[in-house]
Amino acid sequence: MLLVFSDEHKEHLGFLPEVDSSVVGEFGRIAVEFLKKGSNPKIYEGAARKLNVPSETIQHGVEGLMYLLTESSKLMISDVDFQDSVLVLGFSEELNKLLLQLYLENRKEIRQILGELAPSLPHYQNLEWRLDVQLASRALRQQVKPTVTMKLHLKSGGTQTARLFQTDPATLLHLLQELERALAEVKSNHCRRILRNIK
Amino acid sequence: MELSDSVVKGLQTLADPACFDFRAFTAFTEVAFDSLLSSRTDRALDLPELKKIDQALLKHCHVATTTFILEGIKQNADKSTISSCLEDVKFDSERVDAFYTSYQKNKRNLESLLSSIDRCPPHITDASWRLEYCMKNGHVHNVNQPTFLISFNTEDGGNEGTSSDVNFSCTLEQLQDLVGKMKDAAKSMERATQL
Repeated sequence: MLLVFSDEHKEHLGFLPEVDSSVVGEFGRIAVEFLKKGSNPKIYEGAARKLNVPSETIQHGVEGLMYLLTESSKLMISDVDFQDSVLVLGFSEELNKLLLQLYLENRKEIRQILGELAPSLPHYQNLEWRLDVQLASRALRQQVKPTVTMKLHLKSGGTQTARLFQTDPATLLHLLQELERALAEVKSNHCRRILRNIK
Repeated sequence: MELSDSVVKGLQTLADPACFDFRAFTAFTEVAFDSLLSSRTDRALDLPELKKIDQALLKHCHVATTTFILEGIKQNADKSTISSCLEDVKFDSERVDAFYTSYQKNKRNLESLLSSIDRCPPHITDASWRLEYCMKNGHVHNVNQPTFLISFNTEDGGNEGTSSDVNFSCTLEQLQDLVGKMKDAAKSMERATQL
């Protein structure tokens, strides 16, 4: 699968061959940094002053790189396809190699960041548990009531939440049985066949 | 067992053969136990055996008897405690025996009723799950990962028994982690019961 560049995107990236390859490397580092932590316009101004170009040009260059990286990571295109795609831009071989390296080095992490954007339920993070025996309460003295208290840590977007639950021993065994059935299902013939065929 | 004056007075009335003959007494105690265990309590005292007795008196005796029953269950009172308390309020031995028989018969159910009155975190009652295979989304293609959607059904005793679901998703590794930790808990529990 090849990437298709819009004219605007080509124009923005067109700034890259005009500067030194070490500068392109620096832009690549900034692009990856911005993808991880969000953009910081001050950096554009600083770079613009150093290179003596309008800060918009820098911004377009970095954003063009960010778009190039996210699109190719999103589609998970192969090394060969990436190289063939950037060929259209007419850059030097050295610059193409630099971009390929940038893509391959950061693909995994960028895919992980993009994966977090997908709509999803809160994600399981951790489970803590405690075993208690209730001995008495206001309403009833002399009890022996075993309880399992569980703290379920979930993560949704960037926020972590923890919820507290209780259950009794019999229900705990039932829950366990049910979740083990879920785990076993992944190894069933039906699932394995589907997983093999969707690639 | 410490009883308030009002309860003592109510029980004394119940012990008095001039107020409650033995037939009225057995019908009345049965109603007292039933009213604690069943949710239908209106007109419970509307029985032919109790027609002759003054309504206000009947209500006072009912409150006294149910209070006595609950206090006994709460403290896990044994036969001698119950008997001596009832003898103190002038129950004859026939009434003491009849009362204790009903007490013994309903003890278990009343205990579970009282143990359910409790403030505690939501109680998990069941779990459902769904297995999905995520292929792609708007941001990433070729995801190709199995995902489990787990739903814990919970009941909140403190919040009038309202039930709600907790939904969350797990990757294969995360579910294995969850199951492993729950297994640890189950094993510890098993070991604790063997002590």
